[in-house]
Amino acid sequence: MAASLAPECNEIKEKYDTCFLKWYSEKYLRGNTSSNECEELFSKYKACLSKTLKEKGIDTMLDDVRKGNKELDAEFLKR
Amino acid sequence: MKVFSSACTFNYSWEEVSTANWRKYCPWNDKSTHVVGVDTLSRTIDSRTGILRTERLITCSQSVPQWVSSLFGGDATSHVYEVSYVDPVSKKVTMSSSNLTWSNVLNVRETVIYKPSVSNPASITDFNQEAKITALCGGWQKIKNKVEEASVERFSQNAIRGREGFEAVLEMSRRVFSEQRELNKEKLQI
Repeated sequence: MAASLAPECNEIKEKYDTCFLKWYSEKYLRGNTSSNECEELFSKYKACLSKTLKEKGIDTMLDDVRKGNKELDAEFLKR
Repeated sequence: MKVFSSACTFNYSWEEVSTANWRKYCPWNDKSTHVVGVDTLSRTIDSRTGILRTERLITCSQSVPQWVSSLFGGDATSHVYEVSYVDPVSKKVTMSSSNLTWSNVLNVRETVIYKPSVSNPASITDFNQEAKITALCGGWQKIKNKVEEASVERFSQNAIRGREGFEAVLEMSRRVFSEQRELNKEKLQI
């Protein structure tokens, strides 16, 4: 799995990615789209990452790009 | 604006491709070494459609050609924002990426789609990629053209490397999955 931008988050990221990939291939692709059991690991990973995103100013760049991306959801979150 | 597009097929099922796609930039891929980090920012499942929406931050060590960075300054690290949608029913992955770094100079918007091939949906997956590249620096059209051309050139080089690297990831994923299945079978027999 690829590394994290924040080296201190690599360990929790690895755990989360492994959990997600297992869920994705064994459950999600087989039609069980209701739950995601990796939520707890993901919260920890996000908490770890958020510090670096702030420090490097990436969080404000993300806010900007998200504003310009709203039409994507309208187009792709439907069938 | 300049448009770069490419299409190819992978001799793997859509399920295999869409799974391996999550680890396209892992150590098995020795061709996309410019990608140094992949972080997931958010992940939700649309309750109505079951579509999985994911936001990721891709960190690259190589941003633009040397002469561009000497014109505009900046360091060698750049970030890309990617939002993807997986529709497990119609079997389609759509990924849209745009650059976060240099966004006041250059806008690169890439759209990638993976879906089962019409001719052999069970074992072949179609890949379509399109990038729209627009230089935003005010003033000289000549410089804008030069920046766009250099970006398209870099983009197409990375696209070829990306495809080769992804083939390696697909091959390794299939091998690992089948080994895992064998292991599970042995466990059941014992």
